Amino acid sequence: MKAMRLIWVVAALVGFAGVEAQAAQGPWEQPASELADQIAAILGPGQAHLTIRNLSTISNDEIPAIRKLLVQDLKAHGVVMAGAESANTIRVTLSESARKRMLVAEVGEGNQTQVAMVDLGPITTQNATTQERMELHKEIYLSAAALANGSTVVSDDPAMAMTETGTRAFVLRKDSVMVFARGADHGRTVEASLALDLKRPMPRDARGVLFAAADGNGFTAFTPGTECNGASSPPAETAAPPHNGWTVNCHASDDPWPITTDASGAPQLKAFYNSARDYFTGVVSPSVGVDLPPFYAAALLPRSAGSGALLIGGIDGRVQLAENGALKTVSGTRDWGSDFAVLHSGCGAGVQVIASSSGEAANDSLRAYELPALEAVPASAPLAMDGTVTALWTAPDGKSVLAVVRNAANEYKVDRVTALCN
Amino acid sequence: MEVAGDAWQGPDGLARRLVLDGLTALDANGTVSPALAVEWQSDSGDHRWQFRLRPGVHFHDGSPLNSSAVVMALNTACTANCPWTAVHAVGSVVIFTGDSPMPNLPALLGSDAYLIALTRTADGQTPANPIGTGAFQFTNSNNGLLTLTANENCWQGRPFLDEIVIAGNRPIRDQWLDLSVGRTDIAEVPPQELRQAQQQHLAVVVSPPVELLALEVSDTGALTNAMLRAAIAQSIDRGALFNVIFQKQGEITASLLPQSLTGYAFLFPADRDLNKANELRGGLSAPPLTLAADGDGAMQLAAQRIALNLREAGFNVQVANAHNAPRADLALRKLPLDGADPAAALETLLRSAGENVPVAGQNPTALFRAEHDFLELKTLVPLLDLPRAWAIGSRVRDVRLRANGTPDLAGASLEGTQ
Repeated sequence: MKAMRLIWVVAALVGFAGVEAQAAQGPWEQPASELADQIAAILGPGQAHLTIRNLSTISNDEIPAIRKLLVQDLKAHGVVMAGAESANTIRVTLSESARKRMLVAEVGEGNQTQVAMVDLGPITTQNATTQERMELHKEIYLSAAALANGSTVVSDDPAMAMTETGTRAFVLRKDSVMVFARGADHGRTVEASLALDLKRPMPRDARGVLFAAADGNGFTAFTPGTECNGASSPPAETAAPPHNGWTVNCHASDDPWPITTDASGAPQLKAFYNSARDYFTGVVSPSVGVDLPPFYAAALLPRSAGSGALLIGGIDGRVQLAENGALKTVSGTRDWGSDFAVLHSGCGAGVQVIASSSGEAANDSLRAYELPALEAVPASAPLAMDGTVTALWTAPDGKSVLAVVRNAANEYKVDRVTALCN
Repeated sequence: MEVAGDAWQGPDGLARRLVLDGLTALDANGTVSPALAVEWQSDSGDHRWQFRLRPGVHFHDGSPLNSSAVVMALNTACTANCPWTAVHAVGSVVIFTGDSPMPNLPALLGSDAYLIALTRTADGQTPANPIGTGAFQFTNSNNGLLTLTANENCWQGRPFLDEIVIAGNRPIRDQWLDLSVGRTDIAEVPPQELRQAQQQHLAVVVSPPVELLALEVSDTGALTNAMLRAAIAQSIDRGALFNVIFQKQGEITASLLPQSLTGYAFLFPADRDLNKANELRGGLSAPPLTLAADGDGAMQLAAQRIALNLREAGFNVQVANAHNAPRADLALRKLPLDGADPAAALETLLRSAGENVPVAGQNPTALFRAEHDFLELKTLVPLLDLPRAWAIGSRVRDVRLRANGTPDLAGASLEGTQ
């Protein structure tokens, strides 16, 4: 038994040392080693002249470290460095495409040149040095499988809007509303999938808003030209799947859509949606004291002394703040996508705007910003998402943001994004 | 909208994209996404693919999209040199089988060549006009004007525009004049005219490089000898084409795929080497060669410049219009650079050049070798990667360019209209 315990201790120490060694490795050790393997396989043992050039956005300061590693690794394969007079040449280029970086070696033996390459992985956006007041975290709120509702066929039916109550979650799809019930293990199961009787054809890039009754027993969905009300006061004939007691009534409507709600969930501000387009006209009720341009997204931002300011993402790409009867452009929003949501994190200034950005990466990221004046100041590092963020909604309690994400396979899921204060 | 070429026929034919959909589509970033097919999978080492059709889609005449209609459309669209050996319908699934692996089939099916048009109406007739499933339906074509109207029941949602009228075969200067007086909303800007358009303060949207200007070299007849073809490749002064003819737009290249797609394009030297060309040619002399180029002015000028380069290397070359010289020894062409996946982009490009070469794998070294080995044949000489550009009128909103650099009018709208 003692011997067994000793083996465990030794194994743990060896494992720990391995982890330590890996952590101590720089970013170039693995790729330099792989490239040296490929070069040695071409050249075999002997002498060669090594040159390195940089055609990428990798800092030139990295070149000495790369050279040192390559020389070491090549030496281990019997390839030793020689002067420019050597018949064997190795020209290593730090290169990149629009999406990834790579090390490329042109290995010359006399008149023959062969090529070796090592992929360095995707280009990641450099994080700006900012005062990071918080760290964003994500967890799956509704998985792609849950949204597929048992179907094995990939459906790219978008999740246009969603909301939640203590007991239920509601998701607005292109022509239906899915109701999810919260299980004992906090998992969510589809309670009902309710077809909507839309009163006019959906335009491209269809959008909608969805509000749930505080007790979770009803919802109102707005889609272009149609308003639908759902309730779970079950007549006997609907108290079975797929409706499970839910009824939905839709009627044609050009009424304004609620775009912000108060703490009780009651609509605060309504905006007219251009049903033939994919944006709000700029007419809101009640008036905010200034004419607004057409906009894609809006959020009410608490300001000092209990006042509020309306942040809008205009269809011209500008983010503007309507405050005290004036409309002013917010700077520092060039990377923002067309959607954003307010998060009452309690960190830093207490309230942040969560905006999506795609940058040069394949997937979008979310980042928190504060607006102390008319400049969006990053308050967190970007949080990489698993695909394209198609919609962002503040959860009813304000303390998290629900992000609809479409992955590379065109499946939709919903992530809940929360903040941890630094 | 006005265009310099044919509004319907390829290679530009941007009206086709508004009327017809493919089984897949390339999004603005060039990534393959579902269109008329919602999912696909391969087996047998990519020798067999099955694509499951999107339910509830209808053609513009109201007939449902089904797998039989898709198979008939594909067999009509592709009669030879297809990426697949056979295609057949099983329920809501379209199955492709190939004698060779088809690793890039989903991307290939997103290209303009394989769009789905109805071939037989419900009463068994061949449609008089193209019928598809796209955001717009073909209404009529009169006096060079193609009229498309919104498809109210499009599976992607109704487009924002009610009608699009495309005037084809319009000279560039006339297009710009019409744009300035509000007679058109979108006009073409060829790469060589980009600077001029900016000087005239036109609002221009420019794509990344989406076309490869390349010289096709016949490996039969006068140029059967590979040394002569290699000499031709070494003779061309790409810098002059870039600086003079194309007004420093695009990028000089000697590779098939651009650096932005592969990261290794710099490995292909693009400099002219007349000494090497003479050395390769040796004492060989080719009979008089014909160099064909498509009609537009810049292509003719580029062909003249290349002919001059070749004469300096000892070749006797005459330039001809492509219509008049279908069997020319040399042909100056623009080939598509579609998509974000390098292997698929390379296969699409080679197919456009008439080569049936499956390209497999995501390994950059293997892809480089495939490209290198093909270029060693010296039957295609890459010259420039060129962008596409469009001048947009002030009332047009949300014009985004597709992966092939053409405007996606299905997502555009006009200011101040309902």
